Amino acid sequence: MPYLGGEETVRELRRALSNPNVQSDQLRYRNTILKVIRAMSQGVDMSGLFSEMVKACATVDVVQKKLVYVFLCSYAALNPELSLLVINTLRKDCQDPNPMVRSLALRNMTNLRLPSLVEYVEQPLAAGLRDRAACVRRVAVLGWAKLHNLQASSEIDAAVVNELYSLLRDPDPVVMVNCLRALEEILKDEGGVAINKPITHHLLNRLKECDIWGQCQVLRVLQRYRPQSEDELFDILSLLDASLVSPHPPIMAATLSLFLSLCSGQPAVSLAALERVRGPLLAACGSGSREMRFTALCHIQLLLRSIPGLMGAHYKRFFCGYAEPAYIKQRKMQVLVELVNDENVAMLLDELKGYCTDVNAETAQAAITAIGRIGRSYSDRCLEILTGLLGLKQDHITSAVVQTMRDLVWVCPQCSDTVCFALEGCEETLQDSQGRQALLWLLGVYGERVSSAPYTLEVFIDGVRSEASLGVKMELLTATMRLFLCRPAETQDMLGRLLHYCIEEETDMCVRDQALLYYRLLHCGIEETRKVLQGRRSDPSLGVLIGRPAEPVSQWARSFNTLEPLRQGSIETESVSRGSPEHTMFDPKPNADLSNTLDCSRIEKVHSECVRCPTIPRCSPQSLQAAMQLVNIQTLAFTPPQTLPWRVYLYTHTCLDDAPHSTLILGELLYTGEEPQKAEVHKGSADGGVGAEGIEDDM
Amino acid sequence: MPNFINTHSYKYYFNILSPLFSSGAPKTIQKPLPEDLKVRTGVVILSAQVLICRNYKGDVDMAEIDHFMPLLMQHEEEGLLCPVISHGNVHFMWIKHSNLYLVAMTNKNSNASLVYSFLYKLVEVFTEYFKELEEESIQDNFVVVYELLDELMDFGFPQTTDSKILQEYITQEGAKLEVAKTKVPTTVTNAVSWRSEGIKYKKNEVFIDVIESINVLVNANGSVMSSDIVGSIKLKTMLSGMPELRLGLNDRVLFALTGRDKGKTVVMEDVKFHQCVRLSRFENDRTISFIPPDGESELMSYRINTHVKPLIWIESIIEKFSHSRVEIMVKAKGQFKKQSVANNVEVRVPVPSDADSPKFKTSTGNAKYVPEKNLVVWTIKSFPGGKEFLMRAHFGLPSVENDELEGKPPITVKFEIPYFTVSGIQVRYMKIIEKSGYQALPWVRYITQSGDYQLRTNV
Repeated sequence: MPYLGGEETVRELRRALSNPNVQSDQLRYRNTILKVIRAMSQGVDMSGLFSEMVKACATVDVVQKKLVYVFLCSYAALNPELSLLVINTLRKDCQDPNPMVRSLALRNMTNLRLPSLVEYVEQPLAAGLRDRAACVRRVAVLGWAKLHNLQASSEIDAAVVNELYSLLRDPDPVVMVNCLRALEEILKDEGGVAINKPITHHLLNRLKECDIWGQCQVLRVLQRYRPQSEDELFDILSLLDASLVSPHPPIMAATLSLFLSLCSGQPAVSLAALERVRGPLLAACGSGSREMRFTALCHIQLLLRSIPGLMGAHYKRFFCGYAEPAYIKQRKMQVLVELVNDENVAMLLDELKGYCTDVNAETAQAAITAIGRIGRSYSDRCLEILTGLLGLKQDHITSAVVQTMRDLVWVCPQCSDTVCFALEGCEETLQDSQGRQALLWLLGVYGERVSSAPYTLEVFIDGVRSEASLGVKMELLTATMRLFLCRPAETQDMLGRLLHYCIEEETDMCVRDQALLYYRLLHCGIEETRKVLQGRRSDPSLGVLIGRPAEPVSQWARSFNTLEPLRQGSIETESVSRGSPEHTMFDPKPNADLSNTLDCSRIEKVHSECVRCPTIPRCSPQSLQAAMQLVNIQTLAFTPPQTLPWRVYLYTHTCLDDAPHSTLILGELLYTGEEPQKAEVHKGSADGGVGAEGIEDDM
Repeated sequence: MPNFINTHSYKYYFNILSPLFSSGAPKTIQKPLPEDLKVRTGVVILSAQVLICRNYKGDVDMAEIDHFMPLLMQHEEEGLLCPVISHGNVHFMWIKHSNLYLVAMTNKNSNASLVYSFLYKLVEVFTEYFKELEEESIQDNFVVVYELLDELMDFGFPQTTDSKILQEYITQEGAKLEVAKTKVPTTVTNAVSWRSEGIKYKKNEVFIDVIESINVLVNANGSVMSSDIVGSIKLKTMLSGMPELRLGLNDRVLFALTGRDKGKTVVMEDVKFHQCVRLSRFENDRTISFIPPDGESELMSYRINTHVKPLIWIESIIEKFSHSRVEIMVKAKGQFKKQSVANNVEVRVPVPSDADSPKFKTSTGNAKYVPEKNLVVWTIKSFPGGKEFLMRAHFGLPSVENDELEGKPPITVKFEIPYFTVSGIQVRYMKIIEKSGYQALPWVRYITQSGDYQLRTNV
C-alpha cells in the first residue's frame, strides 16, 4: 500500500546513498540500505534507487550484500540494462573463498530472472556444480532449474543434464534431492527424471538420510517407477513399511500414495496398506495443528469411499471439541455419518443432537443435515430428534430441519406421515428462503395429509407482492397447483389470485412464464395437468447409507495427497449449507413432460447435438446456475450434488413478447466424472421459428 | 505447550505459552506456495497490509495476495472459513499465528499436508529466533526474516529448515557490524547435522523431563466419551563435545513402544523420535541411543489411546432460572493416589454472558468471575489425591432476556501433578559416554498435566 510522502522518502534516501561520507562509514551505509528495504517491504516504489543500490553491492559486508540482493531481485525486471552492472560483482563473488558468499551470489544471480543475463550465468553455474562446498552445489543445481524456467524453450546442454544425473550420487542428501527437483523441471517435456531400476534402488537406499521434504520428493518421483517383478515390488514395499506408519503426516501420505500407484494392479495389497495407515491417520486427526487435522479428515473421507468400515471402531475420535473451528466440525460430522452402524447409532445421534444447537449456524445446520443422512437408515430415531428440534423455535434450526425433512422424504417416502404431522405450525418460525421453499415443496406434494396446508399457502399468497425470493415464488406456484389437484375446493380461489398476480403484475420473466405455463396447462384439462405435475414423489433409488458399494481405490488414488480432497470438501459444505438444490427434483423428466404438453407436431425443428467440453470448470452447482441465469438460461432440474453422472436440465427461450415465432431450447448438461464434460443440447423451437444457434455451447 | 527452561536448582516449575491462535486484528504473513512439493510463489507477511513477501518461483502474480484478506473476511462472515481459499486458479493455503497470517500461494494441485507442515515450520523457526512471532518482531527483524526465507526455501523447495543449524550462520547479531564473519557451519555438510563440534561446558549436565498431558472429553451425563495421553520426553543437554547418550526406560513401556506385548492394554501409537535417535538400534535391541542436540530438544513423543480415569472429576449442577438467577454447584474430586498432589488447579465454569452480581462460596481455594470470558475460575493451589471440594456460585440474570443464542461451553480443568505419570513410564538410567571421559549428571522429573480436559454441562 503506497503511502503519502513516498517520493520524498526516495529523494532523501538517494541523497544519503550517494553521499560519500555515508559510503565511507559502513555502519551508516548499511543503515541507509536498511531503510530502503524497509520502505520497499511497506510497498513504497523504490525502483528509482536502482543504480545507487547496484553500487552498494560491491562490499565485503555480507549482510549488506544480502540486503542489496533482496532489493535487486525485486526490481531487476524493471531495469534489465542496469542489472548488467551487477553481474560483474556477482561473478567475482562466485570466486570468493567463503562458500557462503559463493552460494549467495549464485542464488541471487539466478533469482534476477532476466533472460538477457543467461549467457553470463551459465559458466559460474557450471562451476558451482563442481564446487567443494555442498551448500554451493545445492544452489547451483536448483539454479539450472531456474534458468530453464526462465527460457522454457531453450535446450539445456545435454552435458549439464548428465552432470545433474551424476550428482544424484552426491554425498549430500539435499544436493541429491535438489537434483531430482531440477531434473523434474528441466525434463518436464520428456515426463521428468528417468526412473530406472538403479536410480530407484539408489534413491530408496538413501531415503533415510533425507529430511521430510526430501523424503516426500523422492517418494513422489518414485511413483513413476514400475517394478520389474513381483519380488522386486514386495521388496520395495517392505523397505517402505516404516515410512508408511511414519508419524510425520506428509511422509505417511506420500508413502501411501506411492503404495497405491505401485500396487495399482493388486487391489488386495492396496487395501492392506490402507488398513496399515489407519493408526497414523487417526493420529494426524488429533494433531496439534488444525490445518493438519483438517487435511487428515479430508483424506479419511477419501479412504472411506473404498473401505467404509475402516474407522468404524474409532468413531469417538471424530466427536467434536467445543472450540474446534467450524470447518473441522463439519468434516467430522460428514465422517461420522459414514461410520454409523447398529451398535453406535444411539451414541452417535446423541452426540450429533448436541451439535444442532451450536452457536455457529452453519455447524448447527450441518449437524441437522447429518442427522437427516443417518435418517435414511434409521428413520424413526432421527425423525424423533428432528421433530424435537422444531420445538426450539429457532429460525435457522427450523429451516435446516424442514429442508432435511424434505430431502429425507424424497429418499424414504415411508417417513412422510411423521413429517406431515411435524410440519404444522413451523411456518411461523421460518425466515430464510431455502427453508420456505422446502416447506412449500412438502405442502405441495403431501398437501392432502397436512390439514392446514391451504391456510399456510394462503398466507404466502397474500404476501406474494412483498416476496423477494424468486425461488419461493416459483415453488409457491408449483405447490399451489399441486394442492389444487388434490384439494380443489379449498385452493381454487387462491390459485386464481396467484396466477392472476404472477401473469399480470409480476416483473420477473421466470415466474411469469411458469405461471403462463400452468395457466395453459389448466386449459388442457385436469388430467393433462395431473400428468405433468404429479411426477414422482420420491426416489428411493438414491440409496440407503449402509451397504453402498465400495469404490475401487483407483477412483481417487490420483487425487490422494494433493489439494483436491480439501477443495472437494469446500464445495460440498457449500452446497449443504446453502440449501440443497433438490427442490428442483420434483420434475424428474422435464423433457418428456414438456413434450407432452406441447404439441409435438408444432415443433418444426428438433435436433439434438452433443458437445464435449474439454475442460471441466471447477465450480459449485450454485455458481454455475447463477452464471447461467445471467445469460437467461434457466435450470429446470438437477440431480443432487456428488451423484455421478451429474445432470442439469436447462432451458432458454427468446424473450420477445409479441413475436409470432419463439424458440425454446432445452439442454442437458452431463458430467460423468473423470471423463471430459459433455453438454448435450436438444433444441426444439416451438411455434415455428428460427432456432438460435448454440447458445449454451460455451458453458 | 509447556516451555521448558530448566534451572540448576532442579525445581519443578512450568509456564504456558500464550495460545497459538488468538484473535485480534488480522495481520498476515503470506508465503507463496509449492506445487506438488514446491512452494511456488513467495512469502507474504501481512498486517492488514502485507508485511513481508517472497516470490520463490515467479509463476504466481504476487498481486493476487490482495484478494486474500477480503475473501477471508467474506468466508468468515458466511461461516465457511476453510484453510484453503481459492481465487481463480490461485489457491491460498493459510495458517494463523497470534494475529499474523502465513499464506502460501500456489496455482498447482499441491500436496496440502506438506505445505501446512512447511508453514508451521516457518512459525517454529521464527519463534526460535524471535521468541514471539508477531507483527512487531517481524518488523524489527525483517533483515533476518529475509535471510531466513532465502535459506528455508529456494525455487519453491524447502532447503535448510533446522533452526539449530540456521542459527549458526544467520544471527540477529548480523545487525551489528562484523565484516566477513560468516563462515559455513560444519553442520551444513556434517553427518551429525543437529550438533556442531567443539561445544564446551564447565559443568556437564542433562535434564530429562517426562511430561504427560491428559485429554478427556466427558459428556453431560457423566460418561467419558474419549480420553488419551500425549506424552513427551524433553531434554536440556549441557554437555561438552560429542557425547553418546543411552536412555533406559522401564520394560513395560519398551514393550509397548515396540508393540511386542500384545497382552497389556497400553498401546502406544504415534511414537516420534528426534532425528538424532538411531532407529535401527532401537528396532534391534530396544536401546534408545543418540548424540543429543545441544540445548533444549524433544527426544520423543507418544500418544496412548486408552481409557484413563479422569484425574480430577467434576460434578456440576447448573440451574438457570430465566429472568432471575443462575445457581451453580461444582464438586471436584481428586481421583489419584493420596501421596500425590495436584498443583495450581483451575476449574473454569461457564456462565451466561448476561449474568451479573456474582456471589461465591468455596470449601477451599478462590473463585473469581471473569466477565470478559464469561467464566468463573475456581483456583485451588494444592489439591491432594482422594479429596473432595465444593464451590457454589450465584449470579443474577437481567429480566430482559438476551436474544443471542449462546453455545454450551464445557467446564474445563487445568492442573499439574508432579512426580507422577499416568502411563507409568519411568527413566531407568541415562548413560553418557564422551571420549574425554568426563562425568556428567542426569536429572529427571515427571509431570502429569491437563491437556484438552473438557466436561460438558447440561445448561
